[in-house]
Amino acid sequence: MILAAVLSSLIFLITLVLIFSEKMNRSITAIAGGVFMVGLGKIMHFYSEEAALEAIDFNTLGLLLGMMILVAMLEPTGFFEYLAVLAARASKGKPLRLFVLLGSITTVLSMFLDNVTTVVLIAPVTILISEILGVSPIPYLVTEALLSNTGGVATLVGDPPNVLIGSAAGLSFADFLIYSLPIVVVAWAGALILLRYLFKSELSKRPRNARAVMKLNPAETLNHPKTARQILIVLIAAVFLFFVHHLLHISPSFVALGAAAVALVVVQPDINEVLKRIEWSVLIFFAALFIMVGGLEASGVLGSIVGLFRNASSVQPVLFGVLLIWVVAALSAVVDNVPITIALIPVIKGLGETGMDITPLWWALAFGAGFGGNGTIIGSTANIIVATLSEKTRTPITSKLWIRRGLPVMLTTCAIASILYTILYRWF
Amino acid sequence: MEISKYMKRNVVSIPETSTVREAAAIFVKHHVGLLPIVGKNKKLIGVVGLRDLLSLELPDFVSFIADVDFVHDFGAVEDTRPPARTLDKSIKTLMSPAISVPEDTGLLRVYALMLQHQLHDMPVVSKDDKLVGVASRVDVGAAILSTWSKVA
Repeated sequence: MILAAVLSSLIFLITLVLIFSEKMNRSITAIAGGVFMVGLGKIMHFYSEEAALEAIDFNTLGLLLGMMILVAMLEPTGFFEYLAVLAARASKGKPLRLFVLLGSITTVLSMFLDNVTTVVLIAPVTILISEILGVSPIPYLVTEALLSNTGGVATLVGDPPNVLIGSAAGLSFADFLIYSLPIVVVAWAGALILLRYLFKSELSKRPRNARAVMKLNPAETLNHPKTARQILIVLIAAVFLFFVHHLLHISPSFVALGAAAVALVVVQPDINEVLKRIEWSVLIFFAALFIMVGGLEASGVLGSIVGLFRNASSVQPVLFGVLLIWVVAALSAVVDNVPITIALIPVIKGLGETGMDITPLWWALAFGAGFGGNGTIIGSTANIIVATLSEKTRTPITSKLWIRRGLPVMLTTCAIASILYTILYRWF
Repeated sequence: MEISKYMKRNVVSIPETSTVREAAAIFVKHHVGLLPIVGKNKKLIGVVGLRDLLSLELPDFVSFIADVDFVHDFGAVEDTRPPARTLDKSIKTLMSPAISVPEDTGLLRVYALMLQHQLHDMPVVSKDDKLVGVASRVDVGAAILSTWSKVA
């Protein structure tokens, strides 16, 4: 059994290293890892194909897919660009106002829609607005990524770790609003104020041409206003259902997939175009990770890790939670928070079986995984997208700049989360 | 119908030692769209187009956003100039490899190549790769159309 544990750990670690070093496409790596894990399990009799399928959390995949379909339909309508242009006009070209508006829009969107898509669509228009004003796009781009990472922690559907945790721990959308949202609001405000201070010099420069933004025509950005309206109505209905899904005994994934189905029927888009825009590689990546972690569980590795932590139950539970926030944050600053979350979920569940009160730990995991991604340029996919885009411009964001702006934000949001977690612990 | 008969022999070209600034001045003076870049003995080394220089002025957002109809005023972009250090760089930083035709090439072939490589002006070279002329799409196109008067 030890051999099984060692070999399965090896497969998992090698896969993780390959994913993080980006030597091979991460979905390909994960698929290979998953297949190897099942193969090893069959040979050594600790895992099977049926067990692998059971390990896949289809609730998570369904929720992700449903939301992806809705966003894929909303993208081509020009809605995201429309919002960015509205923000530009509302700001009247004043850098500070633009900063707050763009940051807020990205945050609110990323609480309900995928972080990455939100940033992918708003960043180009942000660059456009900055160039027309004659200011640097860097403060706005960096803030959009950081605030959308931060804000996404507030809701069940806001970022992938939350989706994973919600499904594993049986937490509802309302639970996130009650336990996560208040802390995230404070952390977000802290992040905004900090960023405003960190970008003080860039934001105090007067734009060379503020009037030009008033000539941006928002109506011309909306290619399909009717479709946008229809999808937004469906989205709002879905959000309402998210609020009460636990009362109606339906899973969030059913709400998301149901909403996607309704939107598809109402809009009747070219289904092939919609399906093309869905990131299947992300869903496959998740599925493969589930399979691998299932193998780790079956081979007893996670049980041993839980055993290590059992001694930790003598540690003050509040301290344990705070430590968890920071350890997870540190890890997710340098590596993708999805594998970390997927791997830690069974560990926390195992700790629960030893009698520890794990409910607060789920929140600690959510805060750490969500806020940690701000720390470095590679900490979250939204960061990478913004960085890659800015590399193609005349004013690229460097890794060093990101650390000088992102790391303080990460530390501040984690600190705020730790403090509030400690103070409000008994309500968790 | 060979290109040598219809090309312009008085070619405006620039030496490979030119700077971006000097090339810009020549574009302004002669109102051409393409400048062949020549080395020793008028050997064709490469070309630089008007669009290559203008790309230094074009804002970044044009490459990210396909439909810019909604931008009715480009604001600060209209007043932006490339920095001096960019203009002082060698023209070779903007040079593209030369696509050229020998002077005995047929007109239709020249035109087809222009379409394929999206050129509006085609440099013409002698057998030893020396620049001897340049032909624009209008030069080539009008020459081809002039034969239609012979169709009954």
